Amino acid sequence: MLEVEKVSSGYGMVQILWDVSFRINAKEIVSIIGPNGAGKTTLVKTIVGLLPSKNGSIRFKGEEIGKLPPYEIVKKGVNMIPEGREIFPRMTVEENLRLGAYVIADKNKVKDSKERVYQIFPVLKKKEKLLAQNLSGGEQQMLVIGRSLMANPELLILDEPSLGLAPIIVEKVLDTLTKINEDGVTILLVEQNIRDSLSIADRGYVLEEGKILIEGKGRELLSNDHIKEVYLGI
Amino acid sequence: MFTLSGIVETLLWGVANGCIYILLATGLNIIFGVMKLVNFAHGQLLMIGAYVAFVASTALGLNAYLAILVAMGAVAVIGIGLERFTFRKVLGTDKLNEIFVSLGLIYVFENAAILLWGNDSQRIVSPYESLRLSLGEVAIGYDRIFGVLIVIAILIALFLLMKKTKIGLAMRATSQKSDTSMLMGINIEKVYIFTFALGAALAGVAGALYGIIFPFNPYIGALPTIKAFAIIILGGLGSIPGAVVGGLLYGIAENTAVYFLGGIWQDAIAFALLIAVLVLRPTGLFGEKGE
Repeated sequence: MLEVEKVSSGYGMVQILWDVSFRINAKEIVSIIGPNGAGKTTLVKTIVGLLPSKNGSIRFKGEEIGKLPPYEIVKKGVNMIPEGREIFPRMTVEENLRLGAYVIADKNKVKDSKERVYQIFPVLKKKEKLLAQNLSGGEQQMLVIGRSLMANPELLILDEPSLGLAPIIVEKVLDTLTKINEDGVTILLVEQNIRDSLSIADRGYVLEEGKILIEGKGRELLSNDHIKEVYLGI
Repeated sequence: MFTLSGIVETLLWGVANGCIYILLATGLNIIFGVMKLVNFAHGQLLMIGAYVAFVASTALGLNAYLAILVAMGAVAVIGIGLERFTFRKVLGTDKLNEIFVSLGLIYVFENAAILLWGNDSQRIVSPYESLRLSLGEVAIGYDRIFGVLIVIAILIALFLLMKKTKIGLAMRATSQKSDTSMLMGINIEKVYIFTFALGAALAGVAGALYGIIFPFNPYIGALPTIKAFAIIILGGLGSIPGAVVGGLLYGIAENTAVYFLGGIWQDAIAFALLIAVLVLRPTGLFGEKGE
């Protein structure tokens, strides 16, 4: 579904990614793990068009999207949840959700999506008139996941969704992602939380210093020597 | 001597003048809030608005109040051009670049106005000029009343635009988080163009109203800009209600100062307020803590 081929990218003159290649098949959960500063965020920002790719190609369902602006990429069905639970703090929960469906013109569809999100996260329905800044951290995470579902994405990219959340809430978030995946949404999960993310992933890639180092099946990677030594400290 | 009717009249005039400032400050604040752009040439858009209305009412023979619409449209178009061909080139590069572009534009507009219309003072003649509404000893000109009504109508329209329309939703989102807004599928370049056009249109209306009430020349833009900045700092950066309340308070404060202290104090009030707010409440009356 998504094919990233020899992509290099960075900020201005600083190159961070070097010829990164990987792919995601439809309906998969793929996890990209790596230490802080490996270029994980740079990679997802490049995929969704927030950063320009210097060379290489990014194809979504066979179509080149490497040069498209973010709003075009969203329309194609790729949705990203950025790091740090980027809610719109001074807007209501309901307005946040409506923004998630910004690219969808059909009002009935938007309504249906909203009902679906409220079904998955009933707490959002209860708090729909509240300003998003008044939600707890866990609720804000639900809000951003719900918001991304509003656009009916085919590929959902999450950048460090577990960051700063209590373990019990992380578990809930991962559960939800598995469910969303079962509903047919392909998921790319970028995480430092290696054990959790690999345990739900079909496949995983290790990104270090801007290069893909290892690839493998999700659970098998957990027994990879390099990963054991460097990330799990076994 | 200070009399009750004098004070009431001062307050009413303050409200009327405040309305012009509200339009200017609201436009400036919308542009700042959404684009994080500080446009020091905003007052020159007011000045251009006054001249466009002047031309529309003299050369085309339009009623002064219809001329307001012409000014609004023309200055909005100028705003689109400014955003597209000057500010967009420097937006997000360095604040200093944006500031220098806007400072440069002040001279471009002033000199263009001098070239086109000369140095002399002009005024827009309103058909209601001589009409006054008398309430006992207090009298207030129809033009000022119309001005207030127009501003109220615009503010209601603006409120509905921000709350009820998709572009309003996009503007609010962009003002809070531009990167995340792009991820929602918002084309923020379009939002920027619309925002700048809207802010400019409000300045255009402010200019036309200014021209109906006061005489004007190519240099009138500078002081209103400073006052508008004082108002948005008073009301809170990025806050539209802040700009409205700030504009009213400012208009009243200015007129009260003139009434009690004398005309020379009129403009000093802007700076006194600016300094007082910065010292006492740096986030402004409605301001959010820094983000």
